[in-house]
Amino acid sequence: MGEPSAEGIRIRLFAGLREQAGWSEHHWPAPAAHPHPTPRQLWLALQLPGELSSVRVAINHEFTTADTPLHDGDELAFLPPISGG
Amino acid sequence: MTVMSLHSSPPSAVAEAEDLQLKVDLCSEAFEPFACLEQWHRQLAAIGRWSAANSHFIGRVRSMATNGTPLLALELEHYPGMTERQLQQLATALCSRHGADSCLIQHRIGRVLPGDAIVLVGIGADRRGPAQRCCQDLLEALKHDTPFWKREWRSDGTGEWLIGNTPL
Repeated sequence: MGEPSAEGIRIRLFAGLREQAGWSEHHWPAPAAHPHPTPRQLWLALQLPGELSSVRVAINHEFTTADTPLHDGDELAFLPPISGG
Repeated sequence: MTVMSLHSSPPSAVAEAEDLQLKVDLCSEAFEPFACLEQWHRQLAAIGRWSAANSHFIGRVRSMATNGTPLLALELEHYPGMTERQLQQLATALCSRHGADSCLIQHRIGRVLPGDAIVLVGIGADRRGPAQRCCQDLLEALKHDTPFWKREWRSDGTGEWLIGNTPL
């Protein structure tokens, strides 16, 4: 593992997923040896509850796929099923 | 050209769309949808941008929870920053697709009581077809593709996050 960057990745959870996991925000220090993890890899590393297929992924406020590489300074959000309106 | 007056907190982002009059508010307190509509139509008329065809949708909180027990309140959570951005992007894209001229969205956040308005969508266009279709499409997009989450607080003291939306 290399030295973690100063910024890293900000990970956010919402609603029921946040309550199941027991936290709302997490800072993931991106190590130099593996600077571009994917949301799927972080979901597994953080041992988040449930199936990744049941949530949507957003990076920097835009929906994206679970296999999009993350970059230093990104904000990653795992979004449980939406119910607006 | 954009109209964007924010009357509630927290405010949403300002939209930029050529020829589209767009106003999006996330309201942390109860709003009166008919008063909002009247104000919006006055604003449009004042700048000569009233529309021949207008379609509106008002959604209110039901009195019963999904398990059939009386509902005390709905809790509306959102993703600050993304929710506003997504509403703006969806409204701009759908108004462009349908050729609508104006769009008003008011959406509650926080604790909402039965009977209170939770969402107001108002679309102005030159003809009823585009106005009605745009209003319906935007409402569905808002329900399925904008990060809002509802939790029911029931009279038995329990609270439960809802998964998905009611059928169309």
